Amino acid sequence: MMGPLGHGALLVALVVAACGMLLIPIATRRKRRDWQLIGYAAVHTNFLLLTVAMIAMVTALVTHDFSVSYVAQVGSRATPLLYTIISLWGALEGSILLWGWVLALYVSAVLWINQDREGDLVPYAMTVLLGVMLFFVILLVGPANPFGTVFPVPLDGPGPNPLLQNHWLMAVHPPLLYMGYVGMAVPFAFAMGAMLAGEVAQDGWMRLVRRWMLVSWGFLAAAIIAGMWWSYEVLGWGGYWAWDPVENASFMPWLTATAYLHSAMVQERRGMLRLWNVNLVVGTFVLTILGTFLTRSGIISSVHAFTTGAIGYYFLSFIAIVLVMALVMVAGNSEKLRTVGTLDSALSRETAFLGNNLLFTAFTFTVLVGTLYPLVSEAIQGVKVSVGEPFFNRMSLPIMVLLLFLMGVGPALPWRSAPPGVVRDKLLPPIVGGVLLAAVAFLLGSRGGWALVTFLFVGYSATITFREFYIGSAARHRAHGEGWATALLRLVGANPRRYGGYVAHLGIFIVAIGIAASGGSRLEREATLAPGDSLTLGDVTVALRGVWGRQEPQRYVIGATLELRSASGAVIDTLAPRMNFYPSSDQPVPTPDVNSTVFRDVYANLQTFREDGSTATVKLIREPLVSWIWMGGGVLVLGALISLLAGPRRREPEAA
Amino acid sequence: MNWRRALVAALFAAPVIGLFAWGMTRDPKYIPSPLPGREGPTFALEVFAPGVPPIARPAGDTISLAAFRGQIVVVNFWASWCLACRDEHADLSATALRYAGQPVQFVGVLYMDQIEPALRWITEMGGQTYPSVNDPRSRAAIDYGLYGVPETFILDAQGRVAHKQTGPISAGLLTHLVDSLLVAAGASDTAASAPTAGTVSP
Amino acid sequence: MSDASGKMKGRRRWAVAGVVVIAATFGWLLYGGLDKNVVFFLTPAELLAKGTDGVEVPVRLGGQVKPGSVAWDDQTLDLNFVVVDGVGEVKVHSTGAPPQMFRDGMGVIVEGQFGRDGVFRSSSLMVKHSNEYRPPAEGQRPQEMYKTLFKESPK
Repeated sequence: MMGPLGHGALLVALVVAACGMLLIPIATRRKRRDWQLIGYAAVHTNFLLLTVAMIAMVTALVTHDFSVSYVAQVGSRATPLLYTIISLWGALEGSILLWGWVLALYVSAVLWINQDREGDLVPYAMTVLLGVMLFFVILLVGPANPFGTVFPVPLDGPGPNPLLQNHWLMAVHPPLLYMGYVGMAVPFAFAMGAMLAGEVAQDGWMRLVRRWMLVSWGFLAAAIIAGMWWSYEVLGWGGYWAWDPVENASFMPWLTATAYLHSAMVQERRGMLRLWNVNLVVGTFVLTILGTFLTRSGIISSVHAFTTGAIGYYFLSFIAIVLVMALVMVAGNSEKLRTVGTLDSALSRETAFLGNNLLFTAFTFTVLVGTLYPLVSEAIQGVKVSVGEPFFNRMSLPIMVLLLFLMGVGPALPWRSAPPGVVRDKLLPPIVGGVLLAAVAFLLGSRGGWALVTFLFVGYSATITFREFYIGSAARHRAHGEGWATALLRLVGANPRRYGGYVAHLGIFIVAIGIAASGGSRLEREATLAPGDSLTLGDVTVALRGVWGRQEPQRYVIGATLELRSASGAVIDTLAPRMNFYPSSDQPVPTPDVNSTVFRDVYANLQTFREDGSTATVKLIREPLVSWIWMGGGVLVLGALISLLAGPRRREPEAA
Repeated sequence: MNWRRALVAALFAAPVIGLFAWGMTRDPKYIPSPLPGREGPTFALEVFAPGVPPIARPAGDTISLAAFRGQIVVVNFWASWCLACRDEHADLSATALRYAGQPVQFVGVLYMDQIEPALRWITEMGGQTYPSVNDPRSRAAIDYGLYGVPETFILDAQGRVAHKQTGPISAGLLTHLVDSLLVAAGASDTAASAPTAGTVSP
Repeated sequence: MSDASGKMKGRRRWAVAGVVVIAATFGWLLYGGLDKNVVFFLTPAELLAKGTDGVEVPVRLGGQVKPGSVAWDDQTLDLNFVVVDGVGEVKVHSTGAPPQMFRDGMGVIVEGQFGRDGVFRSSSLMVKHSNEYRPPAEGQRPQEMYKTLFKESPK
């Protein structure tokens, strides 16, 4: 029942999207507003149709309608309701459906918000977005059709991928990722639309783009942090980042988007970097499509890669079209994107932003090269290789600490040129903060060179950031007699873009402290324990109480009960790392257990056990400040939210 | 629009697209096998699924690869739990029948599976024309360096591995490979034939 | 006007030169980093064929666990086994527990270095398993394999 409904909705959506894509530019060229409105109606209809398809799929999943091919592939009667619903994005077809729906939502929302804007920018941007939409609908009715019919109808299915149904974060991470990834299509469409409409030389479209970019950037940041957290909670090795191609695929567009959010300010203030910004906007979208291609085509092997199929060739064609069109449009319009302003002084905020962009570009390029090198090497030399983590770490650590440093320098410097004495008054004193933080870290046992440099720069830049908050609030406090808390809130409210950015910086500082501390001072031990045996690691001890098995509706669980004690012998917690055996896989899914406090995590994983339960081999990891990474992620997203508070036309001195 | 610049820029897309297009032609999970060009490991295993006449072998019979020397042998590893095996099954069955009466043998080898579900699978799939043997301790699979199922090995008349296929094989490819081996075998009763695919290790 | 544009041109030339220098340095760093950190993907036969070139360089070794070769000491956590590919055989040593379902004949990828003593020291061990639906065979279901564990009730 749901199969034909969903498939039908998608087929109609295909026609509607195609018609809209053709009608809108024709209407715009002939200045037929009435035709244009029909085209706009197609955009909203398309969203409705994809929503119908989504509802049909969720209904089919929840009612275990195994006649629908996707349900037969990922459904199972024993799977709990939450995981049944989220299995929507557990395999290729469903994830493309979610992707298409999110895109349709964005397209509709962009049109809704901007349809009264003067000029041809919006209709051309809509045309581009409908083009992208069309591609995904083609996938959904063709190679990634989730609504195929299965006959005879199976009684039950294998259930979703075990890794997916093992943790609630899988309900959060993929939708966030899609919101971030798909959203990057909007800035791209505006950039292409501005070039098609001949408005690219004006800066108005840039202000629109910045807000949409910020939305996607915030989602992507949240998704990356949630993905790190998931990997930490599920994969059982106590780490959160491994430079896997799939991780890199989500990281690269985030890097270029971050670069853009900074360089856009240079363009707004000084009229510089205009061509560069268009490149960043377009490049970010190309990187999202590239990332999707890499993970969906099976071209590069990864832990997370989806099953391959004909879909790779569709993506290849799409990437070719997007790349060629983007290059043609940007290069063809490059003469219109002349820089107006000039760099007045080497010591100015512009210079800091230039440095920032240089570093982000180098960072993106490093990740891209590391990700694609195995492919290049095999193509050119015929040698199968993989690029190890040391490459990424060695290349990215210097870039990251320099970025942390610039996060202090930038806010401390004024636009255009700094007054004499700025170095002495503004740049040198905060070094005290840096040295202080590094010294504290050293006394607490942090020894790694990179970790200490990170603390130094974080301390330095955080001091400057706090000083910015302090100076602003103090001024309000004096001038308006406001209380400190009110002064701080009103300060942020009066200039949400600027202070939202600083809040995001604080989030990055917290994440950086978490990474430097947890990576630099990690203790790890593995041992085979019999019940009663204990294992000591730093200031904590675990004792094995027993090994047990349990049957749950959708899986079998083998677990070990560990008692966690502090150095003084007081019981802190009981940890129960487990192995979950799912019927669809012959390998159990590790399920570590973590005792987390603000200061440290104790992470226990059940590595293996003797069949009769007489021993369990346990890996114990003690890492300081891991939870700071997740908290910092929250602060980062909060910063993005604050920045979004700023109305799009608040800071337009030359407002129309 | 400056079309000259646009054209030059578009050319930059070519190597990127070319690289990806090439990348699509190979499987990153594929691990090169040293077997092609070498003698295929022999095995003697018991038939559990007889197949259909004229190429059937009674269940309980032992199939020994060594006895097939001088003929082309297609060895297909499969399992009832393997989804990709379903895709190639009809092609294999039909191709095997087509070569009945010629010096070509098809053997299915069951990989990490039980006989009962395997027989049920064959019935479900509408039968298997060639005989299948069981490999209870995975000896044959290990000798052939198997990574998963399905994998198909084609042995030439001298018993050397001429081709290794990871993943499902199509009737077209199978026919092409077997035909060229048959031609080589016919043409070179004197000289040793070169394998049609794979690399010859020195 | 012409003076200003001349100044601009001079500045632009410097900027271009700067970018080229930075890009070249960065490219050189990238190349050096890649050169040292590339991990070759080899099978046992290929590794052995490399001779001394394959010794003490990072390698990912892919093959199958030779039946009967797995030896694990659960006290010292020393894990020894042999990886085969139908032609070559390589002894592998690693420290730590083997994956729970580590079995004879299973596909593995081990990352590490081949030592002069002919033993491959592995720093990480990945089991290669198909993502496919594969119901456990009779007697292989957890509640059958670990009967005693399932008798006890969870604490």
